[in-house]
Parts: sequence; structure tokens; C-alpha cells
Amino acid sequence: MRTLKHPGEPEGPRRIGREAAGAGEFRIVLPEGADLLSDATRILVERGIENAAIQLTGGSFSSMQYLTGQPDDSGERVATYGAPTSLEGPVQVVGGNAILGRDSEGAPLLHCHAVVVDSDGQLHGGHLPGKVCIAGPEGLVLRVTVLSGGGFRVAYDAETNYSIFQPSEA
Amino acid sequence: MNDVQNSGGSAEPVVESGRFGRIFAIRLKPNEDLVEGVEAAAAELGVDHAVVRSAVGSLVDAALGYGQGDSRAVTMIEGPGVEILTLAGELRPGRDGAPRANLRGTVSDSDAKVYGGLFLRGANPICITLELVLQEWIPE
Repeated sequence: MRTLKHPGEPEGPRRIGREAAGAGEFRIVLPEGADLLSDATRILVERGIENAAIQLTGGSFSSMQYLTGQPDDSGERVATYGAPTSLEGPVQVVGGNAILGRDSEGAPLLHCHAVVVDSDGQLHGGHLPGKVCIAGPEGLVLRVTVLSGGGFRVAYDAETNYSIFQPSEA
Repeated sequence: MNDVQNSGGSAEPVVESGRFGRIFAIRLKPNEDLVEGVEAAAAELGVDHAVVRSAVGSLVDAALGYGQGDSRAVTMIEGPGVEILTLAGELRPGRDGAPRANLRGTVSDSDAKVYGGLFLRGANPICITLELVLQEWIPE
């Protein structure tokens, strides 16, 4: 198994786990024209939900973008995102996982990766950016598991030189 | 490939009733193995049955199994920067009682090609991070 040397020193522990309380389940269908990240975030925040595990289980996009990883030749990090790839619909959802937490300022942040199939039957997938992944005529179906008393909050990670989700108290 | 006892394989249906219990926000740091790291995190949290509720992250390289018996094979995806697109699966106690993970899913490489299969033990090192929500399953 190949391992990589990161720009910062490894910090322990190598696994962090924080217990939260399960605080209910929701099924959400975003309507045609909704933006996946911003509208799903808004709907959850309006219900007082700050932390959640989300599965994208159905629906389609009328248009979307995704980013995939690649080596970072600058040496500042071991990997980075490449340029976004744009797809025009109908783009069907195959699956997706997302986590709702908070950024370093405490604002809600939804981190989503997904797999889709385009109108030629070609699979695509990657990290979904905000404001450009738009629900198609079928909408987008999300299954939401709500966490309370714990979840994820962005903090600077010196080892990887990224600001990323860390398990946190509520 | 992964543990046989995790995958059923009986001639009769296996129906287990239960309920969900505690829920955990977990991060695996760079160079932890995906399968062994998830198992170790669960063991450290005192969980032996659990279900993946969501996971977002990346791998240095990926090794995804497919086939069975003599036909088993592995798709190797070279990174770094292999994105984990979906992760599904569960943990159940192995013969020694420690949680054993059976994890399946999809990844993409730097050319945006998508692959799927079973995440093999000891062959899927975390690149930047794995953000994972696990929920305890309590069989009744």
C-alpha cells in the first residue's frame, strides 16, 4: 500500500470519532430548477439542522459540474482538484454521499460527491461544486440522517495544508 | 475477498431484526487504510455492528475487488487524488469479535473515469481525509 508524505507533519490520533445523537430522518425531493447544494442546505438549516449524513438516492440534473482529484505539482499539497467538467442534462443520479456540517465561521457547509450517468450512458463522478448542479424535471431525491450534539466543522489541518471537516461538538 | 461471514452465503434467507443506535462522526487521516481504519475507529468507539450512513473522501490509490473464487480480480486505480464517490456497507463482528468492515462503492480517477467494486483490505490508503458517518446497528 503506497503512502504519501504530506507537507505538514503527521498529527495523532490517526482516527477521530465523536458520538452524536441520531435526531431523525427526512426524505427531501428538491424541485426542478433547485440548486442541489444551496437549496438542500437552506431547507435543512430552516429546520434547525446543522449536522447530517445525506444520500442522494434518485432524480436527475438538467445541468451540473463536477471536479476530480489530481496530483498537486506545486508541492503545497499532495493532491488538488482539476478544472470542472460540465454536463448538460438529462443527467441521471446513480448515487451520491454528502455531509452537512459547518465551516470555520460556523456557517453551514454541504460536502457532496456523486456518480451520475449522462444522456450517452457514460458514467461521471466527482466533487460537486455549489450553485451549478441544477435539478432536472424529476427533481433530486435525498435521504437525510440528522445528527445532534456532534458532527463536522471545518478546521485548518496543518498536515495536509487543507481546511477540512473535523469531527466536532455541536 | 472480504470476510465470507459478512456476506451471508447461506441457502436460507437470513433475516435479522434490530434498530439503530448511537451515531458517530468520524475522520480518518492520511495513509490510514480505508477498511482497517474504519474497523479500528469502530472498535475504539465500542461499536461492533454498524452501517455506513454517508462518507466523503479521497484515496492515494484504490484497489477494488470483483468476481468470486477463481475469477476474483482487482481493479487498481492509480492516484493520488482518487475521489471516493459513494461508500456503502456495514460492520459486523468477525470470528474474534472485533468489527469487520465490508465496504463497496465507486471512485473516480484524475481522468474523471469512474470505477466500482469492493474496497480491499490493506490496499486503499486515505489521501487527504475520509469524512464518515457510521450508525450503530443493534440486533434484537
